[in-house]
Formats: sequence, C-alpha cells, structure tokens
Amino acid sequence: MENSSIQEPFDLIRLSLSERVFVKLRGDRELTGILHAYDGHMNLIMSDVEETIMIVDVAEGAPAGQPATVNVAKRKMEMLFVRGDGVILVRLPYCRICRCSCNQVSPPSRT
Amino acid sequence: MSFFDFQGENLEDERERIRNGGLHENEDVAVYTWGEDSYDGLGDALQEGDDDFNDETFGGPGVVGKDFDFAGQTSLLEPEISQHKTANRAVASPQDLAPVRQAEQHPPVERRAPQSLESIWDDKSPFSVLPRENGGSRFAERERGQPSISQFSPYPESPMLHQAHASQGGARTLQEIEAEMRTAAIQSRNTLQRQQSALRLQQEEEQFLQEQAFQRRRLAAQQQREREREEREMQLQALQRLQQQQVMQMREHTQHQRTPPPRMLPVSQSPRFLDQRQMLLLQQEDQLRLQQELQEQLRMEDLERQLRAQQISQLNQGPIHFNHRRQPSGPTIAELQALQQQQQQQNRRHRSQSPAYQEFNVAQQNIQMQQRLLAELAQAEYLREFQGATQAEQEALRAEAMRKIVEAEKMEDKRRNKAAKIAHMSRYNDLMTQSDKDFITRIQVSQLVTPDPYADDFYAQVYSAIVRSRMGLQMQDERVLKFGSSGGISLGAPQKGPTRRPNAMQRMEQQVERIVSNARRREEEKGLHSLHSLQGALGKTSGRSYKAAPRQLLQVDENPATSPSHAHAHAHISKEDAKEGAATEAAKFSRETLGNGGNVVRKDPLTHRQVLAILEALYDLVLKVEQLRRDRPPQEDEQAGQQWERECNEIVEQLWEGLKVMVPLETSNPHPFVSLLFPSKGKKLLPRLTRHIDQPRMLTLMTLLVACFTQLDVVKQAPLLDSLDDTPEQAEAERQTQAFLTSVLQSILPVVTKLELHYVTALLGLLIERSQDIGALAQTKPGLALLTLFLSRVEVIKQAWGTGADPIDRVSASASLEQWQAVFDQFFALLTPHFLRLFPSSRITLQAHHPASAALAIDIIDQPVWQFLAALALLAVPEQHQVLVTSLRDKVLENVLSANKGWVADEDERRTKLANVNLFLHALGLDSSQITL
Repeated sequence: MENSSIQEPFDLIRLSLSERVFVKLRGDRELTGILHAYDGHMNLIMSDVEETIMIVDVAEGAPAGQPATVNVAKRKMEMLFVRGDGVILVRLPYCRICRCSCNQVSPPSRT
Repeated sequence: MSFFDFQGENLEDERERIRNGGLHENEDVAVYTWGEDSYDGLGDALQEGDDDFNDETFGGPGVVGKDFDFAGQTSLLEPEISQHKTANRAVASPQDLAPVRQAEQHPPVERRAPQSLESIWDDKSPFSVLPRENGGSRFAERERGQPSISQFSPYPESPMLHQAHASQGGARTLQEIEAEMRTAAIQSRNTLQRQQSALRLQQEEEQFLQEQAFQRRRLAAQQQREREREEREMQLQALQRLQQQQVMQMREHTQHQRTPPPRMLPVSQSPRFLDQRQMLLLQQEDQLRLQQELQEQLRMEDLERQLRAQQISQLNQGPIHFNHRRQPSGPTIAELQALQQQQQQQNRRHRSQSPAYQEFNVAQQNIQMQQRLLAELAQAEYLREFQGATQAEQEALRAEAMRKIVEAEKMEDKRRNKAAKIAHMSRYNDLMTQSDKDFITRIQVSQLVTPDPYADDFYAQVYSAIVRSRMGLQMQDERVLKFGSSGGISLGAPQKGPTRRPNAMQRMEQQVERIVSNARRREEEKGLHSLHSLQGALGKTSGRSYKAAPRQLLQVDENPATSPSHAHAHAHISKEDAKEGAATEAAKFSRETLGNGGNVVRKDPLTHRQVLAILEALYDLVLKVEQLRRDRPPQEDEQAGQQWERECNEIVEQLWEGLKVMVPLETSNPHPFVSLLFPSKGKKLLPRLTRHIDQPRMLTLMTLLVACFTQLDVVKQAPLLDSLDDTPEQAEAERQTQAFLTSVLQSILPVVTKLELHYVTALLGLLIERSQDIGALAQTKPGLALLTLFLSRVEVIKQAWGTGADPIDRVSASASLEQWQAVFDQFFALLTPHFLRLFPSSRITLQAHHPASAALAIDIIDQPVWQFLAALALLAVPEQHQVLVTSLRDKVLENVLSANKGWVADEDERRTKLANVNLFLHALGLDSSQITL
C-alpha cells in the first residue's frame, strides 16, 4: 500500500530526502551526507558531507600479481553540490531496523 | 582602345593580307575548298541520314537571340566613358550653353543611362525588363518619350549599336566583324583625343561660367544690399516715431509690423545670442529715452554708416560669404527690439523642441553661431562706445557677457551630449516591426506560463511575502497572474518603489492574457479538428501492404472468461493463495491473542522504507493543504467556501489517518506513529502538520506520544550523547535530538499550555507507568524537557488558582490537586535516587583527549537539568525540599566553589555555573551568595 507512491526510480531517491545517504561517484569517490535536493540529472545537493577518495597506487614495474596499495583520503564539507554525471549510485547508508551501520563498502579492487 | 592588346595597325595589315589572298600562299594550313572546282568530293562520302532529330538535339535554326549580349550589359557600368561622351557632346555645340549646364547638373548616374538604354530598348531579353537600381527604369521611360536625345550621343554609332544591328541582320562574315572591330578601334582612339580636348574646353568653360555666375551673384547681392538698406532706414524712422509712444504699444507694433528676417531664426534660438542682446537692449532703451531726438538722429545715421561700411568690408572679404548666401549685417535697433519681444516665446520653443530635432541643427548652428558671435562682439564694442557707458559698466558688462557665454556653452555641450546619446540609442529604432516584437514576446511568455504559478515560484513568493510583511506592506497575498483555472505567471518578488516597471508589467499582463486566450482558442479548435486534420498526413498505406502482413494463425479469444481451461487454472491458483493466506493470518491471530490477551492485531513495526514512503505522502498532503489554505475563496462566495471547507477537511482527515495515531497502542513496538518520528524529516513534519489538527485530536496525539515515549529513537539513543567522542552516530543522535526538541516538543507545546490539571496528572501517571524506569527517562534530554513542561504547567495552574485569575470550582480543584500531589509524590520518590545522575556533567567523564571547551559545554548542557530541578523544587513540599538539598548539596557546592575560587576557564563559565545554581536555589528561596564555604 505504501509503495503505491513509488512509480519510478527517482521516487526511491525522493524517499531519501533529508536523510543521510551514501553516494558512490566516479573516480573512486564516495560521499555520505544529508540529501537535500536532486533533479533528473542526479545532480544532488548535500550537507554535512564526508567525501572518501580511494587513491590506488600501483608500483611502477611491479609484477601483475602484486596488490596495489590503496590510500584513503577523506575530507568534510558543510554543503556540496554534486554534478549528476559523476553519480553511480545513491542509497541509504544503514538500515534503521537493525540499527547497524551497513556501511561496509568493499573498496574497488584493482590489481 | 583595342581588343586584347591587338594593335590596330596589325589588324589592318592582316585584313590587307587576307583581302589580297595572301593566305593561300603563306599559311601552312590545310585548306578546305568545299564548293570550289578543286573540291575533292570527300564531303559526298559522308554518311548522311538519321538526322531527323538533329534540330531537336542541337536547337532549331531559329533566329539567334541577343540574350548573350553581355558585353553590352557590362558596358552600362562604365560611367567614365559616358561622362566623356557627354562632354564631347557639349563640344559639338559650344554655342548652346543651356544643354551643357543641364548636363553638368545631372549626376553621373543619370548621365550614363541614355546610351545604355538605347541598346536595351529594342531587344526583348529579360535584362531589359528587369528594373535596375538608381532609378534607371524611371529614366528610361523619359528617354522613350524623347528618342531624339540619342542624337546627342557623341558617337554616330556606338560599338554596341553595331552589334545590335548586326545580330538583327543575321549571320555575318568574319570580314565584316573584323571591319567593325577595326573601325571601333579607330573610333576609340579618336575618342580619346577628343575627350582630352573636350576636357580642356570644359575646364575653360567652367571657369568662364563661374566668373559669370559670380558677377551675377554679386550684382544680386548689391541689389539686395540696397533694398535692405532702404528697409533699415524705414525701420529706423518708424522706430523714432514709436519711441514717443509707450513701450508696450511699441513692442506690439513692431512685432506686427515686421517679422524678423529668416536668417534670424536659427541664430536666435541660441540662448547665448539672446541673453547678450537682451542686456544690450536694456541699456539702450534707458539711454535712448534720455537722449534728445536730434542727437538720436545723428547717432543713428552714424550707426547706419558704420554698419554699411562693415557690410561692405565683409562682402569684400572673399567668396566664402557667397556660399552662405547670408549677409552678416549688424542688427538694427528695431530688429533688436523685435527680438527682445520674441525672446520669451522662442526660448520656450527652444526648450520644447525635442533633442533629436535639435541635433540636426547642431552642426549648422555652430558655424553660424561662431560667425555671429564675432560680429556681435564687434558690435557690442561699438555700441558701448556710442552709448558712452562708463568704464566700470563696460567691465561689468564684459564680465557678465563672458559668464553668460561660458554658461551657454556649457548648456550647449550638455544638450549636444544628450542629443548624441539619444541618437546613439535610436540607431536601432524600427529595426523590428511590431509583429516581430509580438512574436518574441509570445515565445518568452509561453515559457513563463505554468499550470500552478504559485508552486512553481514558491520560494520567491514566500520570500516576497516575508519581505512585504517586514516592510509592513499589506499587498495582495500572491504575486501571480492567473488565467482562469488553466495557468498563470508568477511575478516574483515585488518591486521596490515606483519604477517604470509597473507600466511594463501592466502591458505584459495584457499581452499575456491575449496570448493565453488565443492559445486556448487554438487548442479548442485543434481539439475539434485534430483527428481529421492529421488523418493521412503521413501518406496513405498502399492497398497491398496489409496483404503482405502474415496471416493470423492463432485465434485467441479476447475474453478469457469464456475460455474454460484458462478460467479454471486461474481459479485454482487464487483458491490456493487464499487458503495459504488465511492459514498464516489465523496463525498470526492466535499468536497475538496468546501474547497480549487483547484482541489487537499485532503487526511488525513499519520498515524504514515504509516510514519514508508514508512521510513523503504526508508531505504531499501537507503541501496540498497549505496551498489550499492560501487559496481560500472570498467570504461572500458561500458555495465555494463550503466546497473549500470540505476539501480541507478531507485532506486533514487523510493526514490524521496517515499519522496512524489511532492505531491501537499494542499494535507494534515501536508504534507506527513513533516510527514516523524516526527520521528527522518526520520530526520536522509534525509542527507543520499539527497546525491543521484540532485540539481534541492533538490531545490524543500527545497522549500517544507520552505513552510511547520510551520507544522514541531520541530516548533510546540518549546515552550516546553522554559521550564527548565525535562519532557519526553521536552526531546523528545529536541532530535527531535537536530536531525533536525544536519540532516535536514545539508542536505539542500549545497543547500543554492549555492542559487542565487532571490531564497533566493523568499524563504524568501514564508516563511513569509506561516508562518503567522514570529515572532513566529523566536522564534523556527529551524526557527531561517533557517533564519540565508538565511541572511548569502545573505551577502555572497553581499560580492562576492562587491569584484567583482563573475562577474554578473549589471542590473539583482540590480533588484534582490531591490527585496531582499523589502522582507527584510517586514521581519524586522514583526520581530521588537519580538526582545526581540527571546531570550530564555527572555522567560524562572528561578525558584527556577532549578539548578544553568541553568543560564549558558541560555546564551549558546542565542548564536544562537545573531548570527541571527548579520546577521540581517549586512544586515540592518542604520534606521533599530537604531531600532535594541533601541530594544536590555536593553538586551545588562544587559549582559555587569552582566559581568563587576561580577554577574556571573564563568569566563566561563562572557566570554560567552561578546562574545554574541560582536557578535552583531561587526556587528554594535561597541564593548562592548565602552559601559560605
């Protein structure tokens, strides 16, 4: 009954308005923040954002099997406009029911 | 002139040789002797036949047209040649001066027209029909009327004419053509010579003519001078007569008598000129009145003489004056007076003239003004002399004059700048027609029209409403243009102060209305005709195509009900479904009844997504009802008012349903309503929503909230706040708590402030009963805030009763007071072991890594606790006071001590500590200053 209002994918994003969301971006970046607005291009306006940037360093001339070192850089922003063309996914960061922080996103493994 | 650099002599020689048959001997060329005796007859061997369609293929042997005569066309564009030709014509008849002058006065454009048309008129090519620029066709008609003019052509026959004649006369031999070319070459040579001599002649002639004209003009000028002198004398006499009369009469009379000469007009528009004149005139008048007539006569004659001398000298200065055709003579007295009278009027006219118009005169005026100024200065000098003014007066006059001149120049500059600006701006005037502008406006406006102008421009509208209320203006509520029910345009924020805009706005409104009505009409028409007009617009399918479509092999009945097998399958599935559903339902039901002993259907708590979906739906409803409240119909329209009322109530009903307040308490844990308050937007929604809910329902809502208070996320997560570690969870809890305090408690505040005492008693009892551990609840911010709210409400009621402000029934009042005291005693007893734990500062342990500012923050978060304790102390009986003081003694002493001994970071912290303590002590009738350490 409650789901009758969901007719298109954007309705799901609408549910997340003014909620904390997890946004995956191109270029190995991830955001968590409170979603305030979005549009059809997936442009987002977020506040209280923490950005996580994965920096994958592959050593020069290293053998193929050697795992690359992954450095994580983080920064915080009070208010952020995200251009929609970089957005890969938007989801709630953790489920309310179990109160667990299901925020374990496996970092992109590039070997 | 020769073609392709062929020398005329060579052509001549060539021709000679050809004529003499030299070709046969000298040329090493195969010679074809077709038709002669020596003809070898090879031509007869040619295969003849199948030539039937030759004409059709290569064109018939018809008359060759002249359309290819492009040389004739291009020669039209050689004005130089034709000019010389006309000059030659003048040479041919030097005695007759008239035609020459006429020719000279024609612009060259016209002059080249005749000979070109000569060749064009008699052909039928399309070129001759086409109108040409420079008014050639107009001229051509005149030429047709007088064909004899062509006789004036310097060429007896122009080369072009040759070609024209030749083409009419059929095919020509090569010899003929060559002959023509030769003659043309010779003629062109001759022409060159003739042109040179003609040029010489022309120059001489022009000189002669100029001289003649000069002399004639001089004669005329002399005559004119004579006339003017006479006129002036007459005027002088008239003036002398008139001076005996009154001034006013005289002025009228002179104005009547003669209008100023035309040359005065443009100059007299200059304010500089007028000012100076006026000044001089005033002096003159005074003096003239004083002097005797004889003297006057003498001086006038003297003036006259000098003026004449001046004129003559100016005349002799050179021919420049002739160009101007004006004789800059000094003004006579009469002229001056007439001028003075006209001054006012002309000044007015001068100002009323549009700057654009003045711009046209500026250049001309400048030249004139300069000349005039020079003359004026000379005259002023002279006039001063003869007036016999004193030296001081003269100086003053001069200074004044200079000042006026500078002023006038400034004015002039300003005016010129303005005119230039206007001219600059008006460069693009009339580039677009009105329909162009309308078209563009239509496009722009069509982008602005929306079905719901208020909602589409919501933020601007709300902002402008706020701005307006701040300015204290009471304008119409919405700045939108509405067109019936179909749409409108938002006008955005209001303008500040009167501008040109309102006018433009009105115009836009009108235009928009027109456009919208037009569009609507078009829409209707389209609706009527759309089916017919679009049928077959993409072409019709040919009859064959449907035959090519595959034949239908399966005949499936459209109505499945008639298919027995299908219906059976469907029924089977649905039956099984129902059975299964019923089984689970039954199991569930039994579980519920066993678990709770009530007949409440237990359900799973709402999932997070369900909550969010419900909240979105609620937000939609809230927005709808808010919009509806804004669109309240006017009072007089009762039917619309009722309709509006119904709609509002319906939406409010939906809101109430959506809030799920009426769902039985035991349905789920957390209760659906509490689930809705989990997300911060749910908390924020409540105050917007409760505005539309009436008092009894709000009471129900609050009761539910109190009953389910421990289920609230903010209460559950409160321990998280007792940490100074900055974790995301803690930040989230902080955010939620803030939202709860500012939104949810704010929305129930108006209900609490109207609560009766027995209601408060019941609510407090309910809270104690439902929360199991009231001490723990009081340790949470929301719980503490709610308890403070209740206690302060009771205190207010008690005060109202005490002062008699609230007339009450004593019996019921004492009964409810008794009830309250019982509940309060229970509450106090339950709370007593927790008094110290109420303080966040007692729960929080400062760790080394925490910032120094955290200490002050602790005091600040203690503040609500002190407030609560103060409220508690106010309601407590003396024994309870005792308990309070003994429990909190350490805390109070610690605060006072640290404040007095300076164990604080700064003055702020000290003051906060003392204020906190005093808040509580004042409620007990004490003060921190009474405490001695």
